Formats: sequence, C-alpha cells, structure tokens
Amino acid sequence: MSQDRVFSFDEALARVDDDRETFQMMIELFIEHGPKDLVEAQSALDAGNALGVARSSHKLKGALLQFCAPAALHACKELEESAKAGNLANGAQLYATLEQEVQRLLVALRQVYDKGMAA
Amino acid sequence: MSFESSATAADPAGSPPPHTVLVVDDEPTARLALVARLKRLGYRVIQAGDGKAGLEALRRERPELTILDWMMPEMDGPSFCEYVRQDPELQTSQILMMTSHDQPEQIAEGLARGADDFLSKAASKYEITARVQAGMRAATLVRRLKDATEEIRQKQEALEQELQSAARYVESLLPAPGTILSGVQMAHAYRPSLALGGDLFNVVQWSEDVLGLYLLDASGHGVSPALRSASFATFLRRDSLLRHVGSNDPGAILTEANKQFPLTESGHYFTIVFASLDLRCHTLSYATAGHGGALLHRRSGEVCWMIQPNLPLGFDPSTSYVTATLPIGPGDRLYLLSDGLYEFPAANGELWGQGRLEKTIQALGRQPLETVITETIAEAVRWQGHEQFPDDVALMGIEVAI
Repeated sequence: MSQDRVFSFDEALARVDDDRETFQMMIELFIEHGPKDLVEAQSALDAGNALGVARSSHKLKGALLQFCAPAALHACKELEESAKAGNLANGAQLYATLEQEVQRLLVALRQVYDKGMAA
Repeated sequence: MSFESSATAADPAGSPPPHTVLVVDDEPTARLALVARLKRLGYRVIQAGDGKAGLEALRRERPELTILDWMMPEMDGPSFCEYVRQDPELQTSQILMMTSHDQPEQIAEGLARGADDFLSKAASKYEITARVQAGMRAATLVRRLKDATEEIRQKQEALEQELQSAARYVESLLPAPGTILSGVQMAHAYRPSLALGGDLFNVVQWSEDVLGLYLLDASGHGVSPALRSASFATFLRRDSLLRHVGSNDPGAILTEANKQFPLTESGHYFTIVFASLDLRCHTLSYATAGHGGALLHRRSGEVCWMIQPNLPLGFDPSTSYVTATLPIGPGDRLYLLSDGLYEFPAANGELWGQGRLEKTIQALGRQPLETVITETIAEAVRWQGHEQFPDDVALMGIEVAI
C-alpha cells in the first residue's frame, strides 16, 4: 500500500502549519507511544474490560487524527464506539483491523522520518 | 504523570507578558501539535498529561485559558471542570474542552459541569485558532471584571471605615447622660445605621431653670449629612443662639435656622424638634420643622405626641415656625426621637410605627428612664428581627424630678 493511501503527508503537515520540526517530533512520539496504546487496548480486550478498551482506543484516536490517516482512524473509531457501548463481541476482529492499520501507518511514518523532513 | 512545562521567552522590551494557555491531554502527539500551534500564536504554553497534574498546574500558573481533553486517566475533563468551578481562586480561568463527543447531550453535560466552550479534536487549524482567541477574550474580560469587583470591594471597605469614623465623631458630640440640670435626669440611645444618617441631639443650658433640648436629622446618608448635622449643632450652641436669635424661644430659633440652612444644591435639608423646659414656670415649649416630633409621657400615664405639621428647614425662607407650650410637672418624661425609631419594617414588611412605639413606652411605665430607653430599643430590634436598623436611631429621654 502506498504512503498516500495510509496517511496524507501534505494534509498532516498543513495541520501544523508546515512546521517540519514539530511534525518530526510528532512522528517520534507516535512511534514510541502508538504501539503502547495498542498493547493497552489488547490487554483490556483480553481482560474483557470494555472501559479500558474505550480509553486506549480514544487515546490512540487523538494521535491518528493528527496524521490524517483515514483507515486507521476509522478502525479506531469502530473499536472505541463498540467498547463504549459495552459490546466486545466483535472486539477481537475490530482490534485486528486497527492493529493492521496502525502498523501500516507506523511503517509509512518511519519511511517519511527516515527520508528526512527537509522541504 | 509528570508535568512538563515550556514557555516562550520573556519580551526584553518590557511589553506585557504573553497570555498563558494550559494544555491538558494524555495523548502526547496531539498535545505536541496543539502546543506548537499555540506557541506560534504567541502564547506562553504549559502542559500536563492528566487531569490531576493539570489541576496542580492550573493552581500554580493561573493560565487564562485551559484546553482540556475529555477522557483522561486520574481525572477526566468534566471532573476537572467541576473542581475548577468550585474553587473561587480558579473561577476566572476559561476552559475549552477538546472532545470528539459532539452529541448535544454530551456538550450539555460538559457545559453543566463547568466547561466554557468545546473544540472538536478534528477541528481545522483555523477553528482551533478562532476558538482559542475567543476563549482568551472571554478570560480577559472575566479577569477585568474580577479586578473591578475587587476594586469596588476595597473602596466599599474604605467607605465603611469612614462612615464608622464619622459615627464615632457624631457620638463624641452627644451629651453625657445623668443629671443635666438640677431636678432633670437624662438618658439616651444612639444607634447609627451602617450607611450613617445625620441624626444628632443635645441639650442647651440657658439658665439654672431653663433647658433647651433638640433632636435633628439631616437628610441623606453618609459622611456629608453627619458633617452638616455637626455644623447645625454649632449654630444651636447657647452663645450662637443668643447672637443669632437673642431668645430661647423654639419657634424663633427654628425660624432663624430656616434662613441659615437653606436647601443644599443637591436638595438636602434638616428636620428638627426643639424644646425648652422651664422648671420655674413648669412649662414645656416646643417647635418642630418637618419632624415626627416628640413624645410626652406624663406621670399619670397619659401620652401626648408633640407634632406640628410644617415644612422641614430650608424649603422656604419666609416660613415662620410657631412655638407651642404645654404644662409639665414632676414625674413627667419627655422623649425626643428620630423617625428611624419607628419607620422600619419587620421581616414581613410591616412597619413598627408610632403606635407600637407609644404602646411600648407606655407599657414600660415608671421603670427607670434608662431602662425605658434600653427596652424600647430592644423591643424595636425584636420587631425587625435583627440588630442593624436601616436608618439612624436616636432616642433621648428626660425626666423632671418628683
């Protein structure tokens, strides 16, 4: 999958007024914290803790919004709404989709990061 | 979660420090993006990673605006808002709640629990900027209002101290109770209101047998009527009256006073009752000017109001005030009183009135004069249900020895 289909670099950069230094730091933070949020959501899901799943996915959603990543954001919203409704019946499936999309986003962000942020 | 802080550098040119924004969000990526935007807008920005740390930062830094996530560990956004709104020290801080909860009922809950505005997490950078600026304008106005309120409170406190000082001055002008003339006892009570009126009373000793008594009331409230009363009291001193009036006749005194004290530019005036007690002739002469009068309580128990329907002083320089004369005998008591002693309401709005005052004095009968004065005031206090009268209360009683 191409980078543009995973997230919109131009749109995400515009959200921070083309401040490339800030955007680079955002990528660093997401690479560090995004996987942790996923682990927290997985643990809560395994424990049948709907509130915990909702909290973790909500937190993750805040980051995904910054990167204009529609597929990951959609998957995250689906899991959060389901967990908020106390319904974890499809939790594993929703989580799997989310994990897949977040991993794709992480790969895409690492590529951008590794290429450097010079304009 | 640990608290992070970052701030723009102070302006060396000495311009006002930038407004401060506190960002409270447990998601570091979104928080970083928002902090960077706010810094670009010129604000000083502090950060916290959860509600509890945010509350500590708010107490310490007192930012004008707090931008807050709804769902956070330790303390969520709505709980944060409730804490802030319960703390008088923090109430002026505006709170902008960031949320994806954009359902009307959830927004209503946020507002009810103390948020001032909402910002969608998906909002464009333009909307974020506009909402932050609007919140900052509101914060500035609220803080100005708080400062103005505090300034008014301080001025009110200074004014009350001045009024208390003026009340002490007026009290220093009052006569000492006890024997004021051979065979004449006097007792009095003076209860200045919080706003301080212009009530003043005193005695004028004309001779070994003749005594002048007056109670005056300058219209209005505050230091000004108290000073006008003090000025009038100077006119009513024996040497002044002899010079200006040449007589101890109450009507002549008030007629001259009417000329000496015209209406002020702001329309203020005096009311007064002036009496002359002649022990040799056993007469009580009096004149009033727009005053509720005085009460003569005879030893027999009979009560007589000394009231003349006429203008207060200063309204018409051609007014002549007429002296009325009553016989007075041993054991009779004369009470000079201000309208503040009967024109005050109970909790239900009903005035105490002259009738109840008269009955109270009658019921107290021949008890010592000082007791009658004290108990009359106490009964008035019971009627209104509290100690503080809305206007000055003055009551001076004299008793002719048996």
